[in-house]
Amino acid sequence: MPSGAEHRRWMPALAAGLSIGEYARSLLRRLAFLTAVLLGAIWMLDGQGYLWPAWAWLGLGDLVLLDLSADWAWRRPPGAARRVACVWALVGAAAVILIFTWLLTWLLAGVHEFWPAWALLGLATAGSGYSLIALQDRVLVARGRRALRARIDLLTHTRRQAVDAQAAELRRIERDLHDGAQARLVALTLQLGRAELRAQDQPEMQELIQNAKREAQLAIAELRDLARGIVPPLLADRGLLAAVESLAARYGLGTAVEADTHRTRGPAIESAAYFVVAEALTNTAKHAQASSSWVAMRNEPRALVVLVGDDGCGGADAQGAGLAGLRARVEALDGSMSVRSPAGEGTIVEVRLPCG
Amino acid sequence: MRVVIAEDLALLREGLVALLRENEIEVVAQVEDGPGLLRAIAGHKPDLAIVDVRLPPTYSDEGLLAAIEARRRQPELGVLVLSQYVETAYASELIGDDTAGIGYLLKERVGDVAAFLGVLRQVAAGGTVLDRQVVSELMAPRGEDTQALKGLTAREREVLALMAEGRSNAAIAESLVVTAGAVEKHITNIFAKLELPACEDDHRRVLAVLAYLRLAS
Repeated sequence: MPSGAEHRRWMPALAAGLSIGEYARSLLRRLAFLTAVLLGAIWMLDGQGYLWPAWAWLGLGDLVLLDLSADWAWRRPPGAARRVACVWALVGAAAVILIFTWLLTWLLAGVHEFWPAWALLGLATAGSGYSLIALQDRVLVARGRRALRARIDLLTHTRRQAVDAQAAELRRIERDLHDGAQARLVALTLQLGRAELRAQDQPEMQELIQNAKREAQLAIAELRDLARGIVPPLLADRGLLAAVESLAARYGLGTAVEADTHRTRGPAIESAAYFVVAEALTNTAKHAQASSSWVAMRNEPRALVVLVGDDGCGGADAQGAGLAGLRARVEALDGSMSVRSPAGEGTIVEVRLPCG
Repeated sequence: MRVVIAEDLALLREGLVALLRENEIEVVAQVEDGPGLLRAIAGHKPDLAIVDVRLPPTYSDEGLLAAIEARRRQPELGVLVLSQYVETAYASELIGDDTAGIGYLLKERVGDVAAFLGVLRQVAAGGTVLDRQVVSELMAPRGEDTQALKGLTAREREVLALMAEGRSNAAIAESLVVTAGAVEKHITNIFAKLELPACEDDHRRVLAVLAYLRLAS
């Protein structure tokens, strides 16, 4: 491979940014022009009889014409459009060549009949036929794209519905737990408490009852933790802002909560936002060694943006289990999450949840 | 003692009524929702209302709001709010400016009958009782510079947490491996720092926790 310096010496056009093909073509055009002028000069000096160079001019012109039309066709975007352009470039060039050839036979040889007519008709038919087939293909592709778009819209819509339905279903389960199993267990501890009081003179019996009561109380506590994991009660009862404020108070650090409106979003969006804040504040408390933290919730026309930040040591691992779990939850709602945590400069978790 | 019960779940309501009647506490009315509670209080003038946080129609915090409204209308009424979960936010709303005659307990505490009856009497008599879970949540480890705890030393904070769990001075001393005298000194300091008025010691302990609660919220 020649070095850069050799390029400049032997092929100045290449050095100017032209490709080998472009260089060859410009050479060809100049050569054709020179040859045509040379032949014309010879004919002039030779006595100007029969205009024989016309045939040579025709040949040289054909070459340039083919070159130009090929170049025009190649500039189309690849695919069906370029293929159609190539066919029309060939058809056009062939038609022009035929017409000029006929002109010469008419002028120089006196042929009056327009002999290329059938050939031109054939070329036009072939070009049109090919174009029709190729463009029909294009129409089909466009139709396919539209169908795909519609399908994506439908899937996005139904997924959102499914996620909302799931969130609503979870809240129903939480309510059922509260009114069903939890309430029954509370009633059971109440009955056991009464029984315990009546068995005061039977220590063995009393111990059995106490054990049973303790089990029931443990079951209640477990159910409570389960329900809290499904939907934190404050979120269900008072909405996102109250629930986030309670979280902020629980984590101490004087966490400031800022929200621009009290607008409510769907249960799926609110739950996701809540768990993002909870996880981010837990991480701050566990790892950041921060002296202050903050939560900001912005309601944009088509999205809820939640930011949680601290002034701690930074360097949070966005791929860690906690943040990765949040990301999955956010992405299921077509949302996005970013974590900026340069070492020593605090951490900011930003989540954008599109809604409505 | 005359009591009104606001609880929408019949199973629990009836259990409570039976429990109270067995222990010679008069249940003057049983209602299922907030407006019912306010009517019953206006009609019966009870000493105590036992209220579930979640009541119809929305099953969120109607019971809490009704309890707060009931106390606004009848300040001498004792209110015991029962819930299947505790929220410090609810506790501080319920307490408002007046700690007298307020109770906030997890529902399952009704199983410890003797203690539960004690709580009823305490609240009806104007005392204050918070569930130990509210207290432990308040005492959960926080950032170093939490405003509410700024004035207290680490040891005083430990003592306050143990106090809030209802431990006696002797038990606190044992758990921290110090003398009872040292514990008393810490407690005196806590009372002073939280600017608590001189009154009966048991009540002062609750007040210490409440002062903390108010600072934290």
